[in-house]
Amino acid sequence: MRDLLTVAKFTMKEMVRRKSFLISNLIILVIIVIGFNVPNILNSFESTDSSEQQDTVLMIDETGMFASSVESLNQMEIGKKFEISEKQLSKEEISAKIESEEIDEAIIIKENENNIQIEYVVDSLGLSGTTTLYEEVFTELYKNIKLAQMGISPEQIITINEPIQMEVTETKEGSSGGMLFAMMMLCIVLFYAIYFCAYQVSASITTEKTSKIMETLVTSTTPRTIVLGKTLGIGLVGLGQVLVIALVAILSYKLFLPEGMLDGIFDIRMVTPKFAILTVIYFLLGYTLFAFLYALTGSTVSKPEDVQSANGPIAIVAIIGFYLAYFSMMNPTSEINTFASIFPISSPFSMPFRIIGNTASNFEIIISLVLLLLTIAVVANVAIKIYSSAILHYGTKLSIKDLFEIYREK
Amino acid sequence: MGLKVEKVEKSFIGKKAVDQISFEIQKPGVFGLLGTNGAGKTTTIRMILGIITKDKGNITWNDKEVIRKHVNFGYMPEERGVYPKSKIQDQLMYFAELKGMKKEEAKKAIDYWAKKLEIEEYLQMPAEKLSKGNQQKVQFAIAVMHDPELIILDEPFSGLDPVNTELLKNIILELVEKKKYIIMSSHQMTSIEEFCTDILILDRGKTILQGNLRKIKESYQDKTLEITVDHPIDEILKKCGFEQYHQVDQNYVIEMNEKSNPQELLKELIQSGSKVRKFEIKKPSLNDIFVEKVGEGK
Repeated sequence: MRDLLTVAKFTMKEMVRRKSFLISNLIILVIIVIGFNVPNILNSFESTDSSEQQDTVLMIDETGMFASSVESLNQMEIGKKFEISEKQLSKEEISAKIESEEIDEAIIIKENENNIQIEYVVDSLGLSGTTTLYEEVFTELYKNIKLAQMGISPEQIITINEPIQMEVTETKEGSSGGMLFAMMMLCIVLFYAIYFCAYQVSASITTEKTSKIMETLVTSTTPRTIVLGKTLGIGLVGLGQVLVIALVAILSYKLFLPEGMLDGIFDIRMVTPKFAILTVIYFLLGYTLFAFLYALTGSTVSKPEDVQSANGPIAIVAIIGFYLAYFSMMNPTSEINTFASIFPISSPFSMPFRIIGNTASNFEIIISLVLLLLTIAVVANVAIKIYSSAILHYGTKLSIKDLFEIYREK
Repeated sequence: MGLKVEKVEKSFIGKKAVDQISFEIQKPGVFGLLGTNGAGKTTTIRMILGIITKDKGNITWNDKEVIRKHVNFGYMPEERGVYPKSKIQDQLMYFAELKGMKKEEAKKAIDYWAKKLEIEEYLQMPAEKLSKGNQQKVQFAIAVMHDPELIILDEPFSGLDPVNTELLKNIILELVEKKKYIIMSSHQMTSIEEFCTDILILDRGKTILQGNLRKIKESYQDKTLEITVDHPIDEILKKCGFEQYHQVDQNYVIEMNEKSNPQELLKELIQSGSKVRKFEIKKPSLNDIFVEKVGEGK
């Protein structure tokens, strides 16, 4: 036990002291903080625009109805400055004004039988979507003007325009609806966290092999202690990383994001203690499973250039597990989703989201955890046996046949 | 008390790497495990320490399995290796703790061995900044800092410069004085001849010679005669029947055979009035014995 902690402590120290580790984590944290600040950054640009470079829109009102609405238009925060033209202008005159940058765009409002017609003159539409905006704004304005003409008071108009309140109830149990996007994102994050932490075990073992320290190490403690100590050390660093990232994300969400911004995408109230605890457990177990698989492949190579090809099969297993979880998530009550949440290579990526969606029974959670633990025990047993023989193999990469022979001999 | 290796065998992919090796180390001192490259020395050592499993035979320390629980051993493998990015102090502390030392005890041992091996100034540096020789000294420190009773040094001098070789030799002599059991493997006979009390020479996995080094040497007849005189003595050598010799200035190295009579030669030299500065009858060196024995096997 003492040796296990010594190996874990040294592995952690080795890992966190690396400049690449510190820099990559710092970059992730900066990206998270910036990500949650995107609305603020955009707002700050917009506010600069409105004060300094607001587009000027010239309104040529042939109906004479909208002259009194210019002030309301400018208060709507459309990001444009509306001016009413004193005289009627031809299209050529308007184009000349736009070309000479006297104005940026123009709106010609014409009578059209019982309605109005709007002509929007602009140098280039681009992808701004302004046409739809103007259509909505002027329809609203026209409706209000008409209502006022009918003798409806401004207060009554406000009441009429009050948006209706809508509530959605999903009858299908556990449907997560709008949460799906957030869950998919979390599934990707969980996959990367598990995959890259586990990959570190392989990298650490290969470093020990290439630096030829292995023989000194295996005579100082047992191969079992080395594998378990490394897995523990890297797992704790990985858990620390995930918790720091989650903490920074939550703090950034609280501090920087305008309230209600993520409503409909993610409901923080769904993060129950049960979900949080089980997610951490699935992260640790998923990591442990892949860490042992990587310990096995890491011990079979002695040259850094062989690492990628040796780790290939494990990467494929991990990706199959991830996609099984990812695609079945879209239909949370399907049998394939139930299978993905119980099957050990996909359950760490799948079950947390069935828990948050409340579609997994406690029995299913227990079965999934037991299966995952059993798989870890079997993989650990095989990995440690092969590791203790393969670590002293130098030269060409060991084939699957060689590994099978080693396991049989042991 | 001691190490007992009995009829040990090991094969790799059907090829015998070690074949029926037996030896005992009953007293403290240096045991030389000698052989050409690929003779089976490292495989034997790895089997002694349980790094690889033996196919047949027994290996015991005081009638018990050679594991850390039963014997406090130190090992410097042939494969030199250190953690390239870690500070030397941290690496030494790591291995000291793995070998059961307490932090304070380990700190003292690290300081003692760093001073002794002249690597004090590198303790706070990452290993990758050290020369190969200094990295090797760090590995030696890892092998001995926990005061083991059995020390196994695989090719300890290979790659060291003459100054560091001398430094390491003196430390090994001190360990012998402290009654340590040391197994030293080498393919360079001259570097370890002065330490060994007993030897075992391996060739392609088989024992070709073993026993007490002094007794082995005594069993060999006198091999060469070295003479330093003040003027040429070729005539006298021919007269006394010494035909095989080579000469550099006034130094003569003469091959001896069963009929050679060095006493008669010395008498002739004195009678001729030559000033004899050196007259030494030499037994074959370990290197000579090794070359002869390995040559016989081919």
